[in-house]
Amino acid sequence: MSILRRIQMLLHRERFDSELEEEMRLHMDLREEEQRAAGITPEEARRRSRRDFGNPTVLRERSHAAWGWGWLESLMQDIQYALRSMMHAKALTLMALLSLSLGIGANVAIFSFLDALVLRSLPVTKPAELVMLGKGDDAGVTDDYGSTTLYSYPFFREFRKSNTVFSDVAAVMSFGSEMHGTLDSRDSMQKLTGDTVSGTFFSTLAVDPVLGRFFRDEEDRVEGKSPVVVISYAFWQSEFQGTPDILNHTVKLADTTFNIIGVAPPGFFGIEVGHAPDFWVPMAMMQSLPSHHKGYADGFFQSNYVFGRLKPGVTRAQAEAETNLLYQHIMRSFPNGDWNAYNLSHLQNAHVSLTNLSTGRSFLRNTFSDPLKILMGVAALVLLITCANIANLLLARATTRTHEFAVRQAFGAQRLRLIRQLLTESLLLSVAGAVLGVILALASDRLLLRMISGGPDANLLPLDISLNVRLLTFTLFATVGTAILFGLMPALRASRVAVNEGLKESRRSNSNARSPLGKGLVIAQIALSLVLSVASVLFLRTLLNLTRVDTGFPRNSVLFVDVDSSVLGMKGDDPRMVAMFQEIEQRVASLPQVKGASFAAFTFAQGSWNGSMNVPGMPFKENTYVRHNVVGDGYFNTMQMPLLAGRGFGPQDTASSHKVVVLSESLARDFFPSGVSAVGRHIFLGKDPKPEKDLEVIGIVRDVKFESVDESKVYIDYYPNAQHPWGYGRLVVRYDGNFAPMSAAVQNTIHSVNRNLVIDHVTTLDRVIANTMVNQTLMAQLSTAFGLLAVLLSAIGIYGLMSYLVGQRTGEIGIRMALGASHTGVRWMVMREITMLVVSGVAAGIVLTLLCGQLVRNLLYGIAPSEPLSLIVGIALLTTIALAAGYVPARRASRVNPMQALRYE
Amino acid sequence: MKHNEIPPGSLTLLILRTLARHGTLHGYEIAESILRASDNVLEVEEGSLYPALQKMLVNNWVKAEWGVTKGNRRARYYQLTAAGRKQLAAESSNFERVYSAITRVLQTA
Repeated sequence: MSILRRIQMLLHRERFDSELEEEMRLHMDLREEEQRAAGITPEEARRRSRRDFGNPTVLRERSHAAWGWGWLESLMQDIQYALRSMMHAKALTLMALLSLSLGIGANVAIFSFLDALVLRSLPVTKPAELVMLGKGDDAGVTDDYGSTTLYSYPFFREFRKSNTVFSDVAAVMSFGSEMHGTLDSRDSMQKLTGDTVSGTFFSTLAVDPVLGRFFRDEEDRVEGKSPVVVISYAFWQSEFQGTPDILNHTVKLADTTFNIIGVAPPGFFGIEVGHAPDFWVPMAMMQSLPSHHKGYADGFFQSNYVFGRLKPGVTRAQAEAETNLLYQHIMRSFPNGDWNAYNLSHLQNAHVSLTNLSTGRSFLRNTFSDPLKILMGVAALVLLITCANIANLLLARATTRTHEFAVRQAFGAQRLRLIRQLLTESLLLSVAGAVLGVILALASDRLLLRMISGGPDANLLPLDISLNVRLLTFTLFATVGTAILFGLMPALRASRVAVNEGLKESRRSNSNARSPLGKGLVIAQIALSLVLSVASVLFLRTLLNLTRVDTGFPRNSVLFVDVDSSVLGMKGDDPRMVAMFQEIEQRVASLPQVKGASFAAFTFAQGSWNGSMNVPGMPFKENTYVRHNVVGDGYFNTMQMPLLAGRGFGPQDTASSHKVVVLSESLARDFFPSGVSAVGRHIFLGKDPKPEKDLEVIGIVRDVKFESVDESKVYIDYYPNAQHPWGYGRLVVRYDGNFAPMSAAVQNTIHSVNRNLVIDHVTTLDRVIANTMVNQTLMAQLSTAFGLLAVLLSAIGIYGLMSYLVGQRTGEIGIRMALGASHTGVRWMVMREITMLVVSGVAAGIVLTLLCGQLVRNLLYGIAPSEPLSLIVGIALLTTIALAAGYVPARRASRVNPMQALRYE
Repeated sequence: MKHNEIPPGSLTLLILRTLARHGTLHGYEIAESILRASDNVLEVEEGSLYPALQKMLVNNWVKAEWGVTKGNRRARYYQLTAAGRKQLAAESSNFERVYSAITRVLQTA
């Protein structure tokens, strides 16, 4: 209760003061009256009453103190004083604020991404209880025996029924979320993101709908029976304007109209960080979706992530043991299993590890968590340099304030009070810097999200990087830590004043003139800056190396047109589809300025379909997978991939002719005996030599990069669409001329073949390639920015320190010159000192750089962290700038007019 | 030195006791009352009454209300609370103990 009263007093201070004033005045008046009644003269009575009462100001302060707010009042005083002294040194304040806001802002910006991607828990009930079967490190569908990442829907059913360690289990399909559909009876289809999930998805995550309900188990029991969807809160708001009668609305996907039965809570996105679906649909409806997957009842259509919530008291180890027992048992119980020794041994050797799912799964995390951690370290180093810099400036300033502190101590100020005063100044600086920094961070976060999302034309990733409590706590710690780091040393130093000396030496103090502390700070700054400059050189060269990689095809003037052919409602192997794709290829290819056009199942960085290959007469290559691609006849010509032997696909390769295949150069080399050409030989798709999987090799094409520019050797084989029909999603066009008219012409041509085809997105091959290097681009750009910032700060540090030292030594220099020292001599004297600083800093920096090198090894391409050229470039850059920064004060020293300098003494 | 100073720390006790006896008083009345009760021996250092009263307000030993004096002026009247009564009992017995101990020492000396 006492604290409430105290706060009230604080809030109503003016009333408190006036009441106390009135009360005390009454007292004095009454005393005065009494004295007068006793016969004392009015003046004397008044004087006595005032004298006896005591000093009202002191009494008022003591009354305030009684309420326990004394510390607050002295803090306010300190702040006022600090503000005044900051205004007094405008240049220093501005400089400190600028570097602090950059330093803190960089940290906050990077941390907000680290938080969103790596640290933050899923917005569900008790996320720590959630675990995932396997590592969740793959997506798609596989029929491999022993798959521990992806599971079939029948497996999930059996597993959920049999286990005793999870309070509930759920499944979510790992791919195929992108589709087109119609809301209610609107005119056109639109792009939608929908996750296919088990009926237990929401109950396992233990979230509640904001409207309507979630799936019932029976809605996921009978295939095709319950066309229902749950939509996300954001989708409800953006597409239906948050209408309260949302449960009367529908989403039409392929031929089926789905009823909206519920709305998920705001912020809920499922388990995949960076993937926010518009809606969720039960697994039992998978065949009714545009992709028409038939795997609902197939034990080897392994396409789902399976996760569960541990029962209270069950450890992850216990759960893992039972999961593996059940896994072996359930997999063997599927009737369509092919239990040869090979498959059996794969299953037996498989081990399901349970992965903590409290922070969700994230494809982004795999890509960006290492770069973000490194960038976080870099940002922290920048902040350290900033601290050193400001500490140095404050040290220099503290020296000039020696007189002030001596006076204050002489008047009885305690040393602790002076330290507190100085720390208040530092804290004020760093709080102001932090406020600016957070603003800066919020602005740059948008930019960073743009970069991570893949450039200006990509959709922004749904990552929540807004301000939150964790971020603000981080900022607070960074701010206070910074203030202590840069403020404590100068404060201790400044308050250690020998009063007499401080007062005597009114203008300057020699005690700090040689400033070993300041020099130490500058050396540290240079050392850290060197680490950052070398890092930025390494990352820039990595990016350069990547752009120079030979991808196997010319990168420019290739258009990618993404079409959604699933909206037509036909399967990919429908002969009408095959014919339609061919017609589009031919018509687009005959457009003016088009050099070639072809569909492909997989273009660069579009995923893959892998399998093994059996070459008769050669030992079977275990665990060596071949990437399969299905392409149109004109694909090699369009991509300008030269044929090295044999022929490409042509009209003679039809559904009824013998199945043919084209191999990539290294596949043909490594899978066949040396010196033997693969062309004309037969191979089998898969491990077993089944006659229906027999393929004749008709050609060999040059190796290309398939999924990323920095991948090592991959094996690829190509099939003609006529023989392996594929529901294509991307047309590749090589053209001359401008992007925009070409894009329009191609789209028109596609629509002239089929008006209903939905064209999603048109982009170019080089943009797609650039997107695969987002990571390295991010590292290169940010580390360069940070590196430059670090070098700039160090330069300012050197400039500041040397200017200060030269200023201190004006007298000495004057004497030297009066005694005959030349301008050059003096300049050299100062430059020697600067050179010593730079050399020591660089030496320490080299050691640090080599020590830190291993941390970034994985993020580099085609270059070793200790590569000497990068080190030399870093050193040269830093030394040049540092010496330039030092040259200005050195020149100023040599221009000292001896007469003037001596008059100063 | 015209007046006899009160021992340090006992001001609170004196105020509590005075309020206990007279009920509701304003600051000047408290000072006068202490002075009279001690036959003009103990004179409160007048101003220091007020910080002491503020401290007692914080601790909820007294409560205050604005009223009007006989001379028709606004004054703040103080009154003991239950907590104040308890505090008075505690401080009185403490004072007794210390005081009798001092007396004993003085007598044996």
